[in-house]
Amino acid sequence: MSTNNRILHTRNVSIGFSGKKDNTRAIYSDINVSAGESELVALFGPNGIGKSTLLRSLVRLLSPVSGDIYLYENNINSLSGNNLAKQVGFVSTETVSVNNLTVYDLVSLGRYPYTGWLGRLHQQDIEKVEDAINMVGISSLRNKYINQISDGERQRTMIAKTLAQDTAVIVLDEPTAFLDLPNKYEVVHLLHKLAGERGKTIVFSTHDLNIAIQEADKIWLMLPEGIMQGSPEDLILEGSFGKMFEHTNLMFNTGKGEFRIKRDLRRRTGLRGPKKEVWWTRNALERIGIEVRDNESNDIMITITFIGGKRSWKVSAGNSTRHLESIYDLCVHLADIYTRDQDYQTS
Amino acid sequence: MNKENRQNKNTILFIVLSVTIIIAFLANLFTGTVQVPVQEILRILSGGEASRPEWGVIVTELRLPRSVTALTAGIGLSVSGLLMQTVFRNPLAGPYVLGISAGASLGVAIVVMGLSFITGSASPALQGSWTTVIAAWLGSGLVLMLILLVSFRVRDIMTILILGIMFGSATTALVSVMQFFSTEAMLKSFMIWTMGSLGGVTNNQLWILVPAVAGGVVISLGSVKLLNMMLLGENYSRIMGMNITLARILVFFSTSLLAGTITAFCGPIAFVGIAVPHLSRLLFRNADHAILLPATILVGGIVMLAGDIIAQLPGLESSLPINSVTALLGIPIVIWIVIRNQKLTGIF
Repeated sequence: MSTNNRILHTRNVSIGFSGKKDNTRAIYSDINVSAGESELVALFGPNGIGKSTLLRSLVRLLSPVSGDIYLYENNINSLSGNNLAKQVGFVSTETVSVNNLTVYDLVSLGRYPYTGWLGRLHQQDIEKVEDAINMVGISSLRNKYINQISDGERQRTMIAKTLAQDTAVIVLDEPTAFLDLPNKYEVVHLLHKLAGERGKTIVFSTHDLNIAIQEADKIWLMLPEGIMQGSPEDLILEGSFGKMFEHTNLMFNTGKGEFRIKRDLRRRTGLRGPKKEVWWTRNALERIGIEVRDNESNDIMITITFIGGKRSWKVSAGNSTRHLESIYDLCVHLADIYTRDQDYQTS
Repeated sequence: MNKENRQNKNTILFIVLSVTIIIAFLANLFTGTVQVPVQEILRILSGGEASRPEWGVIVTELRLPRSVTALTAGIGLSVSGLLMQTVFRNPLAGPYVLGISAGASLGVAIVVMGLSFITGSASPALQGSWTTVIAAWLGSGLVLMLILLVSFRVRDIMTILILGIMFGSATTALVSVMQFFSTEAMLKSFMIWTMGSLGGVTNNQLWILVPAVAGGVVISLGSVKLLNMMLLGENYSRIMGMNITLARILVFFSTSLLAGTITAFCGPIAFVGIAVPHLSRLLFRNADHAILLPATILVGGIVMLAGDIIAQLPGLESSLPINSVTALLGIPIVIWIVIRNQKLTGIF
């Protein structure tokens, strides 16, 4: 992967709020993480554990309660505001809502650390702005007002602004919040592309684990017992993700790399048929509390076949057999069978 | 609209506004409670002799200073209104949100009370007297000091806004207490001061008023880059390496210089500072202060000159109080803008 895997790193950092006298409160301690060149790092963890606080500390919007943050082996506290602005860009969760501000003008504001006191753009600045706009794919929006574009487009504009800022490190706080699924994927994929093609170090917090596992080179996992880092695959194999929702009704499926809701499966059926159909039928059956047991004698047996090119679900229960045309009908039918059984048993 | 079209539109708008402000200035010179023929005014202005000596006095001692005052006050109040709306990211902020006019009126109230205790009579003409000017200036300067002190210690801009409003309210309450204990004559001369006037400024005083306002405008023009970044809020400004405290102090200082000086010479003048920046945004549809600030300067000058013309509508014995005229003109504009935008959060 990268040549320098310590562009940004922390040493024994405690984050929180520093106040006067006894008011200093650390909300999370012993943070030792690093991010390298060309790396996309996803910060993952439960709500309220301090992801935003950590990210804000990394960009010096907050100061850590204790410990040090290093950028290329320099303590970030030793850098001037302008110097830091040339090396670290930040996209926060707040929505920028300014009337009459065009996409182009907003991206241009990324050149702030480089322009003179009147903020006039020179040829080199204009080239950087154009490049940033093209890179994130918003050239058709350049003259639109930012209040007239969609959330996904606005997020791309904010990313373009940090690109125009021309920094080695970009930190983003929940860039995929409020976006629909395709936009979530596109934004994270864009970040992946920027890390790979532009050699940038990108750290972002997210709640979309599936996307993070697919696109991130490294994950910082903030758990109550401590922060872990590693490639998503390493963390999956070590079983670290499972710990995150130990006390909730979610479970992490190590085989598929995704979270599922823990189900209380009380009934069993047999299921046979083509692979894809079986997978989705099982999905529906688990939702209504039925476990699929293969190669066992079951009271109820479901067989998926194709009759005249159409799917058919054959349900054999005791002596009766029914053919059903959809998974929905199947579920209704099974629910009927079980209520009848229940009535029979109670009466 | 693409970039070239926008630039062309801006150039045309600036030319139109520049021509309009010259016309408005001349029209303002030509109106007054005494009829003076246009060719006479032009002759006097170009250094010639008036055919009646009193016309010469009217034009050089009354009309000209009044028009220059209107122009200066319009520019200064509008610019400080724009600064406050940007810094507080609040569409309803104006030159007086920091409590500057309240501070000025406290100064004036103290003078009215104090003078009447010493001399035993209220001075009938507060407007334009040096004592009033200095008192008002000291009053607004005191409020500015408080605001600067706060901004050194407090970072949250909403807190600063609320403290500014509270200082203003406290000062106004003090003034009310003083009014309660004052005589009818004192009360009347104070009330007349609060109505605002553009006509009380003498040629000598313009030598203070104009440079002070010009200084405030120059500071603002030099802060264009800071103001543009402030639109994105505190976090983005800081991440870009801006020294927020210093930037705010610069802006607060120039606002106080502008609004404080104008209030000192003309009394409080409402709504111009709030309405004009919105009018400029509506005309230019631009958020860049390099465009908005010059636009606000031109529109501000035009609006105040026009307001003063309305205040001196022909056929009236004396001119109407300018504060009421600007309020009556400005309120419909603010209402229209608020209704038109609906979404107040993103009004800039």
